[in-house]
Amino acid sequence: MMTKVEHAIEVENLTKCYGNLVAVNDISFKVRQGEVFAFLGPNGAGKTTTVEIADTIRRPTSGKVRILGMDVTKEKRGIVARIGVLPQAFSSFDRITVRETMQYYSRLFCCRDADIDGLIELVNLKDKAKEQYMKLSGGLKQRLGIAIALVNDPEVVFLDEPTTGLDPRARCEVREVLLGLKKEGKTVFLTTHYIEEAELLADTVAIISRGKIIAMDSLAHIIESNADHLVLTLQADDEKAFEVLGKMGFEPEINNHKSINVRVERTDDIRRILNAMNDAGASLRSLDVRKPNLEQVFLKLTGEALHESDSGRKGAE
Amino acid sequence: MNLRVVGANLAVSIKTFYREKSTMFFTITFPILLILVFGTIFKDQGNENFNLCVQDLDQTETSAEIAKSLALTGRFKITRVAPSIDVTQYARNHKVNLVLIIPKDYERSYTQYLQFDDPNAFVTITYIYDPGSSSVITKLQILNMVFAKMNQGLSGKPAFIRTAEMSIHTREYRFIDFFIPGIIAMAVMTASLFGTVNLNTELRQKGIIRKLSTTPITRTEWILSNILYQFVLAVISTTAMLLVSYAVFDVRLQINAWLPLFVVLDVFTFVGIGMMLTRVVKEAQSAAAAANAIIFPMMFLSGSFFPLELMPRYLQTFARTLPLYYVNEGLRASMVLHDNVTALSDSAIIGTFAAMVFILGVTATKWEEGK
Repeated sequence: MMTKVEHAIEVENLTKCYGNLVAVNDISFKVRQGEVFAFLGPNGAGKTTTVEIADTIRRPTSGKVRILGMDVTKEKRGIVARIGVLPQAFSSFDRITVRETMQYYSRLFCCRDADIDGLIELVNLKDKAKEQYMKLSGGLKQRLGIAIALVNDPEVVFLDEPTTGLDPRARCEVREVLLGLKKEGKTVFLTTHYIEEAELLADTVAIISRGKIIAMDSLAHIIESNADHLVLTLQADDEKAFEVLGKMGFEPEINNHKSINVRVERTDDIRRILNAMNDAGASLRSLDVRKPNLEQVFLKLTGEALHESDSGRKGAE
Repeated sequence: MNLRVVGANLAVSIKTFYREKSTMFFTITFPILLILVFGTIFKDQGNENFNLCVQDLDQTETSAEIAKSLALTGRFKITRVAPSIDVTQYARNHKVNLVLIIPKDYERSYTQYLQFDDPNAFVTITYIYDPGSSSVITKLQILNMVFAKMNQGLSGKPAFIRTAEMSIHTREYRFIDFFIPGIIAMAVMTASLFGTVNLNTELRQKGIIRKLSTTPITRTEWILSNILYQFVLAVISTTAMLLVSYAVFDVRLQINAWLPLFVVLDVFTFVGIGMMLTRVVKEAQSAAAAANAIIFPMMFLSGSFFPLELMPRYLQTFARTLPLYYVNEGLRASMVLHDNVTALSDSAIIGTFAAMVFILGVTATKWEEGK
């Protein structure tokens, strides 16, 4: 008889080493039943290693991982029957059709009553049901991977970078499917390096960098507790505004949209800046004051950008 | 062990095989082509009909009898070369490896020998030949036999030493009968080894094995389904080869329980070797190269194509260390020679070897990623 546990996933002091490399360094966290938990971090941070230990692909060097109350190192058979996994860079049998692939995995799980058609429809692959895997686009393949992960009606779904490598349109399509899972109330463990994905889907976000969790909370709380400044964005008709900010001791930057971004510590500073602009006769078209976004918080916390290309852009800004 | 899971995996493999035309070609069509090509080449071995050029410088009725007698042996198709032609140049120009020259005054010497009983009368028939040609030796041997018989006839006395030929086999067999079991052993080996290496490396590289390790399928079920798949392929390919052999070459082979036994042992041996290889060699391309390094020596040194007697003694000794040798010999013993004792001893040797490599292969097959 299956026992109902409060936490679908419990990780205690998990460490994983590959030779001298410590990929995951003594991390602990818990995921409640029905929660969407996102592991956010750049490539090589330890996301995939953690999820692969949790979904039984790898074994930990030390520490405990329990899925639905079962130890991953001792109760693999019990665990795999109750979880669904979309591994990183998912792939399937080239010459087997979408429907046949679903039937194959349902047989592996001995699911005689698996709703193959329902799942195919859920991931919007009805028109492609007779298409061989090799003929599907990247987005369609990922959607099939998600459908396979659901074939045994799992209680916990592990999705390892489900949208990496997809074009923006395919990414949107996959996210739509993931939103559907969230609505169904599935426990989802998602790894991603896309902030917007975590923002859209996750109830709890854990930021991981170099094998360590450096922040874990709801997205709003992480930003709130780490946002100790404001970002003022100005659009000006001439260069006077930029010069005024420089003379006042701020460090303005021109962003991609040719707007001026300036970091201010207090709300009083905004009033001082506007007065100085007025005195100098600088003409402003628009003004926007915001708290920093998760990307900026991530940079502050880890000292590294989420995407390799981002670090280059920051330097340019 | 869940047979439903094994069946699901087997079904996927068979569907993939059916839809992958290149695999179909190398598993079924290629061995059949080998049988057709080699079977056609060696179909009439021992009864070949050679081309023979004859230049008759005597141009008499008696000298013409020589060419007629040679044609009557059934071993030569005679082409006459005009007396005025330089035969050496003719042989070079027409790529002819042997020209027989009947000398002038043949009839006169013949008459002198036969009617006047002159013991000093003789003729010399000249062979102009290319020593680099492989078939010329056989032609010369046949010609010498024919002329020895003619001399015997001219002497007027019956031959004193006569010969009788008896095969060590109770029935008469042709080369093709010995060739087919070797090709069956080789085709099953190639399909099992390449099939295992390709399947394991490709699925591992694509991450499919990683995905499967998060499902209830166990390593044992996975390996069993692959063994069954390779056995299905072996049955399909063996059946196709035998059907073609019976239909085209009318082979005389005995099909009995030894055939499936040796095919199963062949499959187990090379699936086991394939599993060990894929543990050592990770990349699909390197694994295919490593498989070739195993297959080619087996193919050429274990007697699948050529009789071992043609090889130097040290290579014959080496051949007896190769597993395919025992499959070849066992299949020939059972299908051709009806020699159950040899088949039993060969099956015991290859069976022991198959069990060993298969256990090692199963142990080497990884299911989880790095521990």
